[in-house]
Amino acid sequence: MTLRANFEAYVGDFDLAVALEADDELVVLYGRSGSGKSLTLRAIAGLLRPRSGRIEIGGRTVFDAEAGVDLPPQERRSGYVVQEPTLFPHLDLRRNVLIGLERDIDAPGRYEELLRLLSIEGLDGRRPHQLSGGQQQRAALARALVRHADVLLLDEPFSALDEALRADLRAELLRLRREMRLSIVFVTHDLREAHLLGDRIAVLDEGRVLQFGPRDEVFRRPASRLVAELTGFSNIFEGERRGDGVVVSGLPLRAALPPDTAEAEAVDVAIRAERVVLRRLDPEGSLPENCFVARVVDDLAFGNTHTLHLEPDGAGPPIAVEVASRPYEILGVASRERWVVELPADDLHVMSRAAGAGE
Amino acid sequence: MSRGVSIALAVAAALLALLLLLPLGGLVWRALSDGDVAAELGSGATWDALRLSVITATISLAIAVLLGTPLAWLLARSRARAARLAAALLDLPLVLPPTVAGIALLSAFGRSGYLGDTLGGIGLSLSFTTAAVVLAQLFVSAPFYVRSAYAGFSGADPRFEGVAYTLGLSRWRTFRSVTLPLVWPSLAGGAVLCWARALGELGATLLFAGSLPGKTQTMPLAILAAFESEAGIAGAVSLSVVLLGFAAVLLLALHRVTATAGAYR
Repeated sequence: MTLRANFEAYVGDFDLAVALEADDELVVLYGRSGSGKSLTLRAIAGLLRPRSGRIEIGGRTVFDAEAGVDLPPQERRSGYVVQEPTLFPHLDLRRNVLIGLERDIDAPGRYEELLRLLSIEGLDGRRPHQLSGGQQQRAALARALVRHADVLLLDEPFSALDEALRADLRAELLRLRREMRLSIVFVTHDLREAHLLGDRIAVLDEGRVLQFGPRDEVFRRPASRLVAELTGFSNIFEGERRGDGVVVSGLPLRAALPPDTAEAEAVDVAIRAERVVLRRLDPEGSLPENCFVARVVDDLAFGNTHTLHLEPDGAGPPIAVEVASRPYEILGVASRERWVVELPADDLHVMSRAAGAGE
Repeated sequence: MSRGVSIALAVAAALLALLLLLPLGGLVWRALSDGDVAAELGSGATWDALRLSVITATISLAIAVLLGTPLAWLLARSRARAARLAAALLDLPLVLPPTVAGIALLSAFGRSGYLGDTLGGIGLSLSFTTAAVVLAQLFVSAPFYVRSAYAGFSGADPRFEGVAYTLGLSRWRTFRSVTLPLVWPSLAGGAVLCWARALGELGATLLFAGSLPGKTQTMPLAILAAFESEAGIAGAVSLSVVLLGFAAVLLLALHRVTATAGAYR
């Protein structure tokens, strides 16, 4: 099933303009709170009326401002699940899941199957307050799926759960998606969740889609400085294009360049902390390409990783480096202060300033 | 909590409880010493007044629920500034002295009121009829229901309704099987308050409907009439005790019904 949405909506003085699509895949809407993610879902579900544009679900036009089409939420065949509230508190699990079905002959089989798929069998008669948070969310998913929805709209469905439960439910959602071939739009402000779940990712900020593309493209090649910041790049530097590379804090670096930059043009240069390489300092040898000497000024241990902050000895930018615990121990990072920092050309991402300014 | 604080709280609670219970105790004591409750219970006039009170208060409640529920829902779900203003003005009838309510009703629906002429022209005269009793009760008691219902609807998360719509439930079915059960405790509480206020209504009824036995003389009016008659306070206390006992029994019963019906949590 497919979803195509391209619309503008105004809510109070908030102005939302979104263009998205999903084909049998999981699209993550990622952004800070207040960026317009939830409003986008509400508009697709039919709970918020856009001012202009078009929305298509499973090949049917459910909204078209020009043609005057505006199907009510009841007829859009979307499964809408929000973080809270989930289940109707006065109904037991069975009546919650089946509330949208009048007398569907097909329902009992599908109902049993969904309960089994979501591991909530045998809880039929329980009221929501007798279910755990995870069971409530599973039941809400079953309720959204039991009517053969064309698209699942999930608004931070797992945010209220603890980390272990969230991990379980994410894995289960991925399994369900494979088994049921669902189109899913998943809203989250959790970077790791976006990375784990998204086939494609739309980065939203202040009501605009800053970038929409395959996950790896968004995470490796952010379209602008803002997208890089939002998607967790710890190292973003101001630089200048020179020759076939850039210069950052007096250090020439070889890097792939965006096509439309001119010589000496100001650019933003980004590299993820986990892509930076640390090498032992060899006092005799000369420094290879894209390398500079720096000393560790801060070392934060996060259990399975360490985040180091280094200051350059000479040319080069101050930099954050993430090292997994085992290489950290093998290299003996704790025992030395000065290191060679390498910024591999393939991992350096150069962004033209114009990309950040234009929306 | 420290012992001192507990004691202070208990003393405060006991003081207020005493303040409320002492006059009621006085009423019962007075009725037993020089009233004649048995005689009043045997009198047809007492039953007429009681019956009229119950019937009019119940009709007032029914109208308040029927018309007030949609009003409360619209006020709670609307984002218009006018709706918020209207919600604030709902309290106005609550702060008006009932006599002012009676005068207001007379000026609108009375024979010389600005709608009375029109109504009279089509052969309808409201003032000094049983309908006037209901109107007076409705005017002073409906805000209690609407206010409580409004608070209930405002507190019920509208996202429940949104989710229900996406599940294919029509607006009416959503209201009936999702919203209504969620706000039931507020509606029931408001209904009890509304009915109780209508049952005790005196001032507006007296001015707008008068005190005609069997027609507009409800229990509070009958008590006032007895107080002003030769029987004086002795007659009034007996009737008061009858009303008190009756209201207590009914309120307890209502409380039970609403408590069990609303207990989904």
